[in-house]
Amino acid sequence: MTDTILHAENLHKSFDEINAVNGVSFEIQRGEILSLLGPNGAGKTTTISMLSGLLKPTQGQAYIDGHSVLSDAEAVKQTIGVVPQEIALYPTLSARENLAFWGKMYGLRGSYLQERIAAVLEVAGLAERADAKVETYSGGMKRRINIAVGLLHQPKVLYMDEPTVGIDPQSRRRILDTVMELNQSGLTVLYTTHYMEEAEELSNRIGIIDHGQLIALGSQSELTKTVGEFDIVRIGLEPDGLDYAALSAALQKIAGVNQALIEDDELILQAQEANAVLSKIVSTIDKANGRIRSIKIEEPNLEAVFLHLTGRALRD
Amino acid sequence: MKSLQIAWKDTLTRFRDWKALVGLLGAPLIISTLIGLAFGNIGGLGGTEAPISNIEMILVNQDAGDLGANYEEVLTSEGLQDLLNVRQMNDLEAARAEIEAGNARGVLFIPAGFSDALIPEEGSTGEEAMSGSVELYLDPAANISPFIIQSIVEQITAGANTILLAAGVTADQIVEQAELLGPAMENLAPVLTAELQPENFDFSSQKLTLNKIEVGEARESFSPFAFFIPGMAVFFLMFSMFDGSRSILLEESRGTLPRLMTTPTPIWQIILGKMGGTFMTGLLQFTILVIASTLIFGISWGSSIPGLITVVVLTVFAASGLGALLTVFARNETQASIVGSAVSLVFGALGGSFFPAENFSGVINVISKFTLNRWAMQGLTTLTIRQGGFNDILLEAGILGAIGLVTFSLALWAFQRRFVK
Repeated sequence: MTDTILHAENLHKSFDEINAVNGVSFEIQRGEILSLLGPNGAGKTTTISMLSGLLKPTQGQAYIDGHSVLSDAEAVKQTIGVVPQEIALYPTLSARENLAFWGKMYGLRGSYLQERIAAVLEVAGLAERADAKVETYSGGMKRRINIAVGLLHQPKVLYMDEPTVGIDPQSRRRILDTVMELNQSGLTVLYTTHYMEEAEELSNRIGIIDHGQLIALGSQSELTKTVGEFDIVRIGLEPDGLDYAALSAALQKIAGVNQALIEDDELILQAQEANAVLSKIVSTIDKANGRIRSIKIEEPNLEAVFLHLTGRALRD
Repeated sequence: MKSLQIAWKDTLTRFRDWKALVGLLGAPLIISTLIGLAFGNIGGLGGTEAPISNIEMILVNQDAGDLGANYEEVLTSEGLQDLLNVRQMNDLEAARAEIEAGNARGVLFIPAGFSDALIPEEGSTGEEAMSGSVELYLDPAANISPFIIQSIVEQITAGANTILLAAGVTADQIVEQAELLGPAMENLAPVLTAELQPENFDFSSQKLTLNKIEVGEARESFSPFAFFIPGMAVFFLMFSMFDGSRSILLEESRGTLPRLMTTPTPIWQIILGKMGGTFMTGLLQFTILVIASTLIFGISWGSSIPGLITVVVLTVFAASGLGALLTVFARNETQASIVGSAVSLVFGALGGSFFPAENFSGVINVISKFTLNRWAMQGLTTLTIRQGGFNDILLEAGILGAIGLVTFSLALWAFQRRFVK
């Protein structure tokens, strides 16, 4: 990590009355993977859209490899590769035809285009199925071709917007491995996800985004330090018609319990020295006539950070 | 140019979709065949019901003789009742004014003494006898109806001429032969001469049936396909152009349009490419229909290839422009689909894809002129039915070109405004 390749400064984007992005600023160093972690609707895609020249910021500025997204969008688009959340391919065309079309949109021609198509097909592991129509592919294969399109013109920065949504664990594993391999070859990656595990595994740094604001930015260890000694305690409850609001209020009165929220019959608590207060927690649940199904104590992680910062679970 | 790449990609994907192909090519050919077989008399397979009906015609018959009555009887006969709506007037100028007012497609004028001129009085010469003529006034603004009227009148005239000629020749020959046979037959000559005078023939008893309607200068047989194939081609072209334009919204929702916008391709080139793809698809669709209908149904698309190319290209241009313009204001694909189908149907009905628009009268006729189908059909039938040339379709070409230019430019501008956020 030697120099800044992406610099976003006070980005805002409003749609009518809604502020989708509200003052987002960050930098990405060359060769870095930075993940934007946040729930659906947090503003991740809107941020990427502004950085790729698809949306004009209502306010703010961004530079990619020295090119302004406002005044030099053409150069920005040549510098970046974009892997959108949707499978943005033409299903009735083959993978090779899709790649040829998208390559031409990036200005590639002739033998160089053919070389690049062959190269990205290798990266996607789909060289043997290259002439089959995309509509005949599995979800994972489509995702891999979707990524391959973004690599065709050898971009300096690759934006990947939730590239593992809706695919099987095996395909997800393969995509994550590919991202790490690409990064090892020198590619800078801006990655968005709402899966905490992906952000933890891939990223040099993580930005936590919620309600259009970047609420935390740093390495995983830097972020978890912000939570301090708080552990996450997850308690599975039998759905017995408990008064969850009353139970939550009672639990937060216990000394050492910082946050308590209930989601899908699961009690999520943020507690200092969880082992010390666990007996009081169980006792409170018992008094409320709750029946415990499971108990799990987790070390501070990004979920704890998110809970700590927003008072909500990441998947909310 | 990247626009061409986008246009070609769209054309390729469209023609690979067999469901789309059914709509693009199958439907117009199948429906034309069904309508043609139902209304035409194709190869003896179909019925003989007139595909075109209630053509407004005026008869000004000032002749008091049998021949004038013969025209009147045939024109108002039961066989032509559905096809022609014949009114009788006495004043030729008033009748011609009806054409100019758009209330009639043709006027047949039979002058006073017409029968007398053709059926010679005793002692008059044959040359004088054949100098009588009827006058036919046709609406130059209409394509099909005037030619049907002209054909019917020509049929009646030809039939009458045949009878007159046959009667004259036979009488002359018998008289001549009778004289040669000798004195015994001498008395026969004056009797035959008197009996075979044309006025003794009852022309009204001749059954001048309408076997076929001949139209155009080339006197080609009028085929319902010459009307219905262009009609259905334009009608289904409208559908496919709306459908093609809708693909922009489809690409937006599928994410390929936003992805295109993240490539270093100017937005105007993307939109132009999308609209160009619709245009190319339409052009290919129409070209295949022209070739297929020529090979399958043997219809003639006229003798003017430049004229045909001009009308087809400008029709597709106008239809793709209109499709794009209406699509740009649609909220989503569903709305675009509903609006597209509605406009295609209304334009098809008002613009003459199902019935000759020239037979419309009053407000409908005026409204019809605001549809591009009207001008496309007028241009195409000028070529297929009237066998007109390039110069005959200039008005239609100009109007279609103007519609295309305005709608295409507006759509290009409006799409950019819609997608650049």
